Amino acid sequence: MSTIPFQQAKLVELYCLEPVFFASRELSDTYYTEGVIGNYALTYALGRVNSPYRLQGQATGRPTYKEDLQPIAHDFYILPASPVGRVTFRFERFNALSDSYWYAMTNNRVATAREDLPLQRQGKKPSSFRPSNFPQTGRLRMIERRNKFQTLVFGNYQLPNYIRLGKFMSKVKLNVLNEFPVTLLPEGEYQSQHYLNAADLPQQIEALAFDLISIPPAPIIKNLRFRGAAWQVGEMIVPAGLHFCGRESSNE
Amino acid sequence: MSISKLSSVLATSYENFPKGRFITLVVLRTTHSETIFRTEGSGEPMCSEFVQAGLEGENQKTIIQRLVMTKRKQVAPERRYGREHLRAHELLYTNPKDGSLCSLNTNAPCEMCVDCFLYGFAAGGGGAQKSRIWTEDAFSILPASDVVGDRTINAIYETGTMRDEKGNASTALNTSEYIKPGVHFLDVVTLKDVTADELRYIIGNILFTSRYGAVSSRVGRMENEILGVFGSITELPSSLELVQATYDALGKPLEHPLNIKQLITASKQVIANWKNKRGVSVQLSEEELANLLTDVETNWSPDERDNFLKRLTQSYESFRQVAPEKNKGKGKSKGKNTPVEVEI
Ligand SMILES: [Zn+2]
Repeated sequence: MSTIPFQQAKLVELYCLEPVFFASRELSDTYYTEGVIGNYALTYALGRVNSPYRLQGQATGRPTYKEDLQPIAHDFYILPASPVGRVTFRFERFNALSDSYWYAMTNNRVATAREDLPLQRQGKKPSSFRPSNFPQTGRLRMIERRNKFQTLVFGNYQLPNYIRLGKFMSKVKLNVLNEFPVTLLPEGEYQSQHYLNAADLPQQIEALAFDLISIPPAPIIKNLRFRGAAWQVGEMIVPAGLHFCGRESSNE
Repeated sequence: MSISKLSSVLATSYENFPKGRFITLVVLRTTHSETIFRTEGSGEPMCSEFVQAGLEGENQKTIIQRLVMTKRKQVAPERRYGREHLRAHELLYTNPKDGSLCSLNTNAPCEMCVDCFLYGFAAGGGGAQKSRIWTEDAFSILPASDVVGDRTINAIYETGTMRDEKGNASTALNTSEYIKPGVHFLDVVTLKDVTADELRYIIGNILFTSRYGAVSSRVGRMENEILGVFGSITELPSSLELVQATYDALGKPLEHPLNIKQLITASKQVIANWKNKRGVSVQLSEEELANLLTDVETNWSPDERDNFLKRLTQSYESFRQVAPEKNKGKGKSKGKNTPVEVEI
């Protein structure tokens, strides 16, 4: 088995100073956040990779995780953050508001052209009254303020005290709880308590049993029992060779 | 012009990639009339949340219910303030897709105006700009129970009382909560990679916006004051932590209305400690802060405003030319050969 790319890992606690929202799932007009924080989102939030302020054309529809993350994968890795205790959620209604003096709710959108109103009353459909192709009203399930998550950061980096997460750039406090050396355990059967990104698992391990949380961009695995080599970090065990987009790259 | 004191954390021009330049504004927001911040529609209670009263000693163990002014309730009216002036000076652009003038949240951002560049937008499928202004939920210093009043609604006569001219009592149907005047919210606003003129624009929006919350034309007068400005390479503590630390510094007993001088002294005492935090490079002194605010007021003054807003608009010119790539042959393809600067 190869050497460990990381000398050490930090056990980090994330404390939600604000409600956090990711569009993990959509059911009718409700957008659900799962009780987990993806490790790609964390990598961007930590400033390990930069994404531009302005996205245009294709860049808006196609995330660039692979291009962004693979270059840093040799000296940085972070696990998806798993909740400490039970996650609590809150529901909020959102309405897109307009800056015109007059507006009205129509087919799931905010119409602002008052002169269209008489047309609409005659049964015609002026464009400002047609449904919008992005949601203007609905409900959000968000991770409630004061929830705590934990994650492991591999590599020797100074971490910021605060980061921003999710669609609304919610402020999250970051506390380094402990720092451990990373040790390699020989091939065997292990159980990992940490949340793992399915796309980052090394090809070599054999997954025996796990639960799956299906979220974009890659499903999260929990309670993984696996056969293979492992990394030990303090009391914690994860499969050896975790790597951004590790599963994909080895397919090529 | 003390804005130069911040030059190490200001961008010289708009740039598409983040560079670790943070400017933090500490804002004191004080209600000057009855104000309504509800979670949802009418009839709902005021936005509030149970949080630790303070960060130290007994205050840390005491849980109180504080009013919350959500980030969305702050940024929407402040954006609108700036946009009113952009509109008045004809600096909002036309959306290429449907020819409509730039408007908020209606899937028709122009992608070109100051507001679009600074506060961001998401057009359905077309493009997106991340906001470089990061707001936070702000909390009241005192518990909600001290600063929320009850008002009977649907029952007040034109005289403003509960009795008509003949002295008959009204048959009240409902009561409604409101936030009393003189309630203080402390707030942290974080700006990322902004230029000097963008900073002036944002501070102007915060200082000159005077109405917030529901039924904003009749109630919701609020006065904003900037207590501190920091430059750093990371983010500073949250609004909630600021309120909690200030609550600790104020000591007891506290009751509404708070003495605003004591409050400001306590908050400034708290943020003075931030100067020593890792990554902080600048804190404006009292004098530098006053100069900065004068600078902002000068640029926003009736004589200077047109110049100022046009100069700011002009600063995005080179970034506008690459935008109309999907213009369906509307003749605006001047940027066609320019590489799209967002590609990595
Ligand atoms: Zn615009």
